[in-house]
Amino acid sequence: MKILKIEDNNGHFCIEGEEFVSIDKLDKDNLLKLVELTLSNEIEMDDYDSEILKNEAHRIIYRNVHKKLQELAARKDEFFDKSEREFYEIYENYKNS
Amino acid sequence: MKKVDFHIHTIPSVRDSAFIFSMESLKSYVSERSLDAIAITNHDLFDLTQFTQITGELEISVFPGIEINMQSGHLLIIDDVGRLDDFQNKADKIRAIIKTVEDSITFDKLTEIYGDLGEYLIIPHYQKKPPVSGDELNALLPYISAGEVDSPRKFVRMWNDVNQPTPVLFSDIRIKENLTKFSSRSTYIDCGELSVNKVKECLKDKNKVCLSPNDGNKLFEALPNGQMLSTGLNVVLGGRSTGKTVTLENIAKQMYDPLHIEQFDLVQKEEELDKRLFEEAVTRDKSHVEEIHLFPFKEVVDRVLGIDLAANDKDVSDYITTLMKSASESALRDSFANTAIFEETTFPIDPDETLEKLIRSTQQLIENVDYKKFIEKYIDRLHLKNLACELIEERWRQEDQIKRKNEVNSLIEEIKQALDLKSAVAPISPVDLYGISLDKVRIDRFSAIVNQLKKEEIVHDEKIQDFRVVAKRAPFSGAQELRDKLARQASFSAAYKVYGNPYLFLQELKSISSLPNTEIYRYFVKIDYKTLNNDGADVSGGERSEFRLLQKIKRATIHDILLIDEPESGFDNIFLKTSVNQIIKDISKSVPVVIVTHNNTIGASIGANYVLHTTKEYQDGKAVFKIFSGYPTDTYLTSIDGSSIENYSSTINALEAGVDAYKARNEFYENIKN
Repeated sequence: MKILKIEDNNGHFCIEGEEFVSIDKLDKDNLLKLVELTLSNEIEMDDYDSEILKNEAHRIIYRNVHKKLQELAARKDEFFDKSEREFYEIYENYKNS
Repeated sequence: MKKVDFHIHTIPSVRDSAFIFSMESLKSYVSERSLDAIAITNHDLFDLTQFTQITGELEISVFPGIEINMQSGHLLIIDDVGRLDDFQNKADKIRAIIKTVEDSITFDKLTEIYGDLGEYLIIPHYQKKPPVSGDELNALLPYISAGEVDSPRKFVRMWNDVNQPTPVLFSDIRIKENLTKFSSRSTYIDCGELSVNKVKECLKDKNKVCLSPNDGNKLFEALPNGQMLSTGLNVVLGGRSTGKTVTLENIAKQMYDPLHIEQFDLVQKEEELDKRLFEEAVTRDKSHVEEIHLFPFKEVVDRVLGIDLAANDKDVSDYITTLMKSASESALRDSFANTAIFEETTFPIDPDETLEKLIRSTQQLIENVDYKKFIEKYIDRLHLKNLACELIEERWRQEDQIKRKNEVNSLIEEIKQALDLKSAVAPISPVDLYGISLDKVRIDRFSAIVNQLKKEEIVHDEKIQDFRVVAKRAPFSGAQELRDKLARQASFSAAYKVYGNPYLFLQELKSISSLPNTEIYRYFVKIDYKTLNNDGADVSGGERSEFRLLQKIKRATIHDILLIDEPESGFDNIFLKTSVNQIIKDISKSVPVVIVTHNNTIGASIGANYVLHTTKEYQDGKAVFKIFSGYPTDTYLTSIDGSSIENYSSTINALEAGVDAYKARNEFYENIKN
């Protein structure tokens, strides 16, 4: 699933099958959805390229978002490991009895 | 009857402080105490050479023994003199193991070294520290002949209990140079021949073991010279300066754990001091009243402690200024300022504490054992477990969300910073309006709570004996009171100036460096304690003395002996007769009591089991102090040296100032009556 792309020298993002939107419209709710998509799916993103991205505001946002999502994709497991969580033992105990 | 002391130390070990053994002291001890047999029982060692010297010097039976440090406590092993070399060999094996105070011998090791323990006289510390106990005691029980105690009180109690072994009371004395203060602890056994086997046989029958030669366990030797006391209630009478107080002190010295109420201990000395001490005694354990009462308020203070309204105001003001500026510069907005993220705020992160409490409550409902039947009557256990699981899943979901939001927040901050650097438009200062509003509501609520707390109210009302201890909550009346409460160097003047404004007052308290934040909640209102008598009035000096006496003697039964010197000094006769006498009489049923008195309400009405008269005579110009004692109904009281005095005349002299005064007093009452 592609969530970040560079087209017409501008950055774009896409939330689950909807249309790609210019990255300067990205707000915190969109960002949260992108984080969730990254953690629960295999995602694709165009690499950051300062040559192609002409708009400097796009460059700043695209670079940071791309970097963060890449990093989260690599740390996925730590978000799903429940064994260290509070109440884990109680939960296992009640679930299996 | 044979008087024995089977617990005597003659060589210091790792368990003793250093001392030098003296044969002379041992001889004096044996002779003054009129002992018929002793055992030498040093800690974890036996010295045959010294033992042989001792047996050579003394004309009484001396048994070889050893006091072994078992895992749980101390154990005496005593043997006959017939196999001393063997006893020495075994003791050497013990000594090789016990080199420091931490070392001990196990039961298995003991039997490995001594073989059949049935061949020895085995006496553990029983009601004496450190006692042999638990599995070790159970393993030793078949071999035990008696259990050692450390006071006549414990002796009598154990003797009377059919489930307990025979008690024995020994001196545990260190025989050192210049020893003049001997122990009065020893045991009488009805035993013809003194051998290990005969003693063991004798100890099997409690009736053959007692504290006194002729009076069973009614009397015991309280002083090394053989002066007897009742194991019940003793009254000491005598004129001024006849040694009554000294006698009490000497008795106290013979006990491990006496409760000694000295003369005038109970009397009011200086009214203000007395009042303060009384209030302190009454309220000593009452600090928990304040803690319990103010505990919920502590949580309130903790919640508002970090709130800074001035900083909040500044945030709002900065926000408005930058917002206005941004609006006026809208024409200048560049591509950076036009991005959605440029003015984006971060997600508020607020963990839901209610959910956590709910999970714990559900867990409690599932796991509670005491009220299980009630819970299960109304709620299915499986449903509860499913509920707990769902709540936990929700909690984890919320945690996931917070984790994700934290990632997003940090990303927003980074991007905004980068955009700010490039944009010509000043960023709008961030502000958490919701948080700030909440702070305001919290402070309003906090102030309302403090004002409510400042209303005077009785928060605790407890009955102690005949008094009521009342705790009242009230506002502080000045900076001095606040300073007194802290009891450390600090100035509360600035704080007290704004005492009427709880928020400002809190800020001032926070700035006092010697007042820890965790204690601040105690400085908004004070808790005053007041003690009232039965009629709700202030307590009088006499009532304070009564309270003190009753408080002091109420725990007397855990002590070895209760010694009271002239309790009448502080009380009127009615109180003595109605309260003191009865309480003392009751206590004397379980602990020996010695009471010194001049007062006939005590002396004649208390119903003593044994009386002692102290006298001072002059012989060759020197004062000689004597104690004459006997049962209250005896015609004559006798002294240790065999001399005697008439009981009636000396009692009436001590309590009624002589026969004439007594008669005159009776006539006086008769006249009033007529």
